This record gives sequence, C-alpha cells and structure tokens, in this order.
Amino acid sequence: MRTKLLAVAATATLLALVAGCTSATSPTSNASPAFKAPVPAGVQDPATIPSAAADSDSGCDPLASLRPPAAMPPPRQMPAGSSMETILKNGHLTVGVDQNTYLFGYRDAVSGQVVGFDIDIAKLIAKAIFGDDSSKVVKLVAITSAQRIPFVQNGTVDIVADSMTINCERLRQVAFSTDYFDAGQKILVRKGSGYTTIDDLAGKKVCAAAGTTSIVTIATRPSHPVPVAVNDWTDCLVMLQQGQVQAVSTDDNILAGLAAQDPTIEVVGPRFTAEPHGLAIKKTSTDFVRFVNGVLDQARADGTWTRLYDKWLGGPAPTPPAAKYSD
Amino acid sequence: MALLSPTRAAPARTPLGRVAPLASRLTTRTGSTPGRLTVLMLAASALAIAAGLAAVIGVTQRSSEVDSIINRSGPLTLSAQELYRSLSDADAVAANAFLSNGQEPAALRERYESDIAAASAALSDATAGDPSQRAVREIAAQLPVYTGLVETARTYNRQNLPIGAAYLREASALMRNDLLVAAKRLYDAETARFDSDAGDASGFPWLAASLAVLTLVGLGYAQVYLTRRTNRLFNLGLLGATAMGLAALIWLGASWLGVRGELSSAERDGSSQVQLLAQARIDALQARADEALTLVARGNGGSFDTDYNTMLDNLVGKDGNGGLLHRASGAATDPAVRAAVAAATDAAKSWKSTHQRVHSADTNGDYNGAVLLTIGNDPASAASTFNNLDKNLATGIAATSAQLNRHARSASGALTAAPVGLGALTLLLLVGLVAGFQQRLAEYR
Repeated sequence: MRTKLLAVAATATLLALVAGCTSATSPTSNASPAFKAPVPAGVQDPATIPSAAADSDSGCDPLASLRPPAAMPPPRQMPAGSSMETILKNGHLTVGVDQNTYLFGYRDAVSGQVVGFDIDIAKLIAKAIFGDDSSKVVKLVAITSAQRIPFVQNGTVDIVADSMTINCERLRQVAFSTDYFDAGQKILVRKGSGYTTIDDLAGKKVCAAAGTTSIVTIATRPSHPVPVAVNDWTDCLVMLQQGQVQAVSTDDNILAGLAAQDPTIEVVGPRFTAEPHGLAIKKTSTDFVRFVNGVLDQARADGTWTRLYDKWLGGPAPTPPAAKYSD
Repeated sequence: MALLSPTRAAPARTPLGRVAPLASRLTTRTGSTPGRLTVLMLAASALAIAAGLAAVIGVTQRSSEVDSIINRSGPLTLSAQELYRSLSDADAVAANAFLSNGQEPAALRERYESDIAAASAALSDATAGDPSQRAVREIAAQLPVYTGLVETARTYNRQNLPIGAAYLREASALMRNDLLVAAKRLYDAETARFDSDAGDASGFPWLAASLAVLTLVGLGYAQVYLTRRTNRLFNLGLLGATAMGLAALIWLGASWLGVRGELSSAERDGSSQVQLLAQARIDALQARADEALTLVARGNGGSFDTDYNTMLDNLVGKDGNGGLLHRASGAATDPAVRAAVAAATDAAKSWKSTHQRVHSADTNGDYNGAVLLTIGNDPASAASTFNNLDKNLATGIAATSAQLNRHARSASGALTAAPVGLGALTLLLLVGLVAGFQQRLAEYR
C-alpha cells in the first residue's frame, strides 16, 4: 500500500516536473517580440514643456494692435521705403502656413494647393498689395507651429497665417495684427468616452502640437493631464484613433477640423481659454502691421470676413471679432 | 565519411594479420633487427594512417564549409540584402505615390506591392535559414503593422483628408526606426557569418600537413636504416610509399591554395563589392524616401531634408568625389562593373543638383513645381535620375554577385576529388610501406 502511494506520488511529481518543463520551455521558443505600437515621428510622451512663462506682464493688453493708416494706399502703389513696397518689389508675399489644419490651412490632395480660412485671409493682404492673389504673388510656405516665431523673426516669411494665438509672451518676440478669429481651447475625445471637460482627464494622456499655447495649457491644468507633444495636429488625431492618447486639446477651430475627418470622435465641453488669432509680423515692420490691420478692418466692414467664414466653416457666421488699437 | 572506413580497416586486415606471429617472436628476440624493423613498420603505418585520416577529414570539412557558403550563408546574405532593399524601396515608393495628387499611379502601386511580396518572401527565407535571429522576428511582427498604416494613409488620402499624410509619416517612422534597423542588423549578421565561413574554409590544414611531413620523415628514416642494415640501396615498396606521401602532401597543399585563391577572388571580385554596392543602393533608396517625405511631411520636412543630404554624402561624398561609390569604383575589378559605378556616380550627382531645385521650389512655396520635379517623367527629374542610379547599382550588384558565385563554385570544384584521392593515396602508401618492410623481414625467417 505504502509503496503504491509512493509510486503515485512520485509519478505525480514527475508529471508536474515534466509539465513545468514544457510550459517553461515552449513559450520562450515561440515568444513574439514585445509589441511596440507605432508612434508618429517626433512624438514626445510625456512632453517637455517650454518654461511656461506666466502671462503676467503688467499693463500688457495682447489684443491692442497698431491703428491702420488714415488712408490705405491703392494696390501696387505702396509708400516709398515701406515694408509693403519691399514686398511689392520682391514680387511675392511669403506666408507661413500650416498644411495640416483642416479647413484653416491644409493641402487639398486633388489640386495640390494649400487652402482654408487662414489662407484666404492671407490672400486678402496680397490682393491689397498686388491687386492679385494668385499663386504667382502668394508664396505659401508650410511651417510647423514651433517654426512660426523664428521664421517671422529671421524674415523667412513676411507673415504667418496659422491659427496663431495672440498673447503677451509672443508679443515680446513678434507683432500681431488685430484679432481676426476668436477661438478657445476645448477637448476632442472619442464618442462615448465619458470625458466632458479637461478636468475629467486627470493623469490621462492629452495631445497637442509642440510649441503651441495649447500644450502649455494642458501641462498647467490643475487636474494634471499628461501632455503628449507631436509635430502636427493630424498626428494627434492618429494617436487618438490608435488609442495612444485619451484626448486632443487645442483651439476649437482646429479640433473641429480634426473632428470633421472622423465621425467617431467629437469636440466636447466649454471653452476653457480664450484664443484670439492674429497674423504674426516682424516686430520692427510697424508700417506693415498697420497696413494689415487696415485690410482686416475692410474685410470686417464689407462682409468679406462673413463670406469667408460661411465658405469654410458654414454659417451662420458670428459678428467678426472687434479690432482694438493701442494708438 | 564512408571513405574513411576502408582506410582505417585496411591496415587492420592486411598487415596486422601477419604481424601477430611476428609479435610473439618479438617478445623472445627483443632488440634484434627483425624486432626493430617490425616496431619501425608499425610506427610508420600508424603515422601514415593518422595523416591520411587528418587529410581526408580536413578536406571533407573544408568542402562542406565551401558548400555552406554556396548553399547557406551566401543565399542567407542575399535574402537579408533583398529584405533590406525591398523594405527601403517600399518606404520610398509609398512616399512617392503619395505625392501624386488624387489617385496614385498604377506603376508605383505595383512596385510597392511587389516590394512587400519580395520582403515577405525574403523574410520567410531568412526565417527558414536562421530562425534564432531576433531581427527576423521583429520584422515579421512589424511588417503587417506597417502595411496596415500605409493602407490607412491611402484610404484617407483618397478622401482628401489631411490625416492621410499623418498616417504615412507614422508608417515611415515605423519603417525607419524599427523595420530598417532590424533589417540592417540581420544583413550585417549574415554578412559577418559569410565572411567568417569564407575565413574558416581558407584556413591552412596544419594538422594533416604536419602529420604528412612526419610520415615522410619516418619513411626517409626507415629507408636510411634499411640501407645501412642490408646494404641494398633501394627498397621499392618504401620508395613507392614515399612517392604516394609526397603526392598526397602536394594534393593537400594544392587544394588549399586553390580554395584560398578562389575564395579570396570571391571576396575581391564579389562579396566586398556587393557589400559596398548594396549599401549604396539602400542609402540611395533612403534618400529617395527622404526627398518625397520632405514634401509629404508638409512643414516638418526639415529633418528629412537633412537626412537626404547625409545619405547623398554617404553615396558620393560632400564634394561628389568620395563616399561609397568612390570606394566601389576603386574596388571594381570588372570593366562592366566599373562602368556601372561610373554611371551611378553621374546619376547621383545630377540627382543631387535636381534635388537642390526641388528644395528651392519647396521653400519658395512652389509646392506643385517641387512635386513635379520629384516624381515627373522629365529626364532631368529626380525620379529619372534616381531610377538611373538605382538601375546601375542593380547592374553592378548582379555582376559582382555572379562573380562571387562563380568563384565559390570553383572553390568547391577544387575539392571535389580530394577526399577520395587522398584516401586512395593513403591506402597505396600503406601497401607500399608494408610490402617494403615485409620484403626485408622475410629475409630473416
């Protein structure tokens, strides 16, 4: 009896050992390499945030721009020695644009042209200088968000039309036109995710483009979402679709452009920042800033702004943002 | 190996059968001449058997090393190279197809599909040949993910949505950061294995050669000894055995020289040039992908443009007179290959200057002009100059690969008869040896 028991026990032990061996060896030989999800080139997860300089400049009113001249010069007759005359002589207005912001500035895959609301605003400036807004005189140069300020400063572009938020920190580096489009930061999430505001995303990954005000805002929210920075807004949409981030957060106009590309996602919640968009111009070209503001004033007054809003974003258009001047 | 048993069995059957009674006599007549002769004969036979065994085993091994270059490490290197190339090509073609407004050209679509098919086939060859390679499994795991991203990019692009470009960028990042890195690792590993196989197969047969020399010395000593003892100048058996030993030693040396010569020709005319040209071709493909991605990345193209310049510097050097192509030209031993490399160098230079025009059109906002220069059919377009470069590099690779194969097969041919021949010479040597000694021993009976 005893020996039988022993034999049974020994057999059981042996079987367990054999089983242990097989289960220990076979998976290693067939183990798949740890799957690494593909990510967009240049992603920073989590993002390193440029020192979020507090917008606390005393007496800075970001929206106050320079007053237009009393009388706007007619096309092709720019005042001698002015920045506009230089542009006229160059034969083209170089505009820094984004090619990835659907409806505002994006490459139409069929025509190959960059089109959108921001592009049409920039064309108004060209029309005022050249009397023409064809591609002969408007050079659209695709740039990233992070390139906007340096490219204006070093003269690579004459002007930036790229959903660029006017704020005091940026005003120290470049000049802005008056506010031509009012946006505000919201969040873009998958439908049915249950997230309704940025404060629901504590500890969750939230995507924005590097070098934008949006990424700084995400990083400094009291709910502490984890900021993920990418090169282009569409990279954020890819990461949202692939489940690598829980939300995208930036100006609602950009989010609307992203949402229009995927019916399973939606823009939700209230605006939690105000993002007035301006055209960025070299700080020293004050005459050009005044000229651009004159063009914008005209567009507000004669219905051009409303027409462009309807064309790109669908009506009914709100009243255009009011111009504000410091002098 | 079947050859070895007669070699070993032969002395056991013939001489030892007669040796047994001799041995019993030895015990009583130690120190006598027949005793010494018998000891001498046994020692010389043992040495000859050892030398024969070492020679036959050595050449058989060498022959299998050469065959493994032809049948294993050669093809594996080739499939690793094909995998690396087809993946690079897929990356370049996918990006270029994306530049065509609206529908992608059928030719590019087909080329992409044949690249993916070629990559999958090369991958399964690599898996069959060397399943332990981690790189192979990484590629097998990520290749379907890559093609999925490319298809998503296509679908969105057809709907004219900007997110299509974002998917293509992600696909390309996966290709460059994971797939191509793994493919290069695999290619380097297979190349290193090929080189080490070739090195092993060209090693000098030290053991067999020194045993053979010792055998000859032993035979010489035996003849001098016999001449002194018996006052007969020649012993025909031993003379014959010596001739057989010399012949075996010469055969051994000649086959080593032949294999070494063919393998070093294979290296000089083949593999070293193939490696340079294959690397050049892959760098050119990467530059081609960079060029298209600069335009697809839409504003983020700066890093791709920098990478393009790095790749072109790798190819032709900063001044256009260096880089891989310059080295390939210096290494070229075949005029046809040298001509192909020269044509490739010219193509690379004119591509570089076309690329300058693409770049300036792009930075000046003339996107459509830049695209046309990049993918258009004009003879001066980047597409035409690149295709010219690629075609010439392919010609060079095919010619040098053929040289490599030819020399490797000659190396194998130099060894075909060696195991049988050396085995037979050893047997004849033993026959002569035993006969020579028996003749003298008989005189003492």
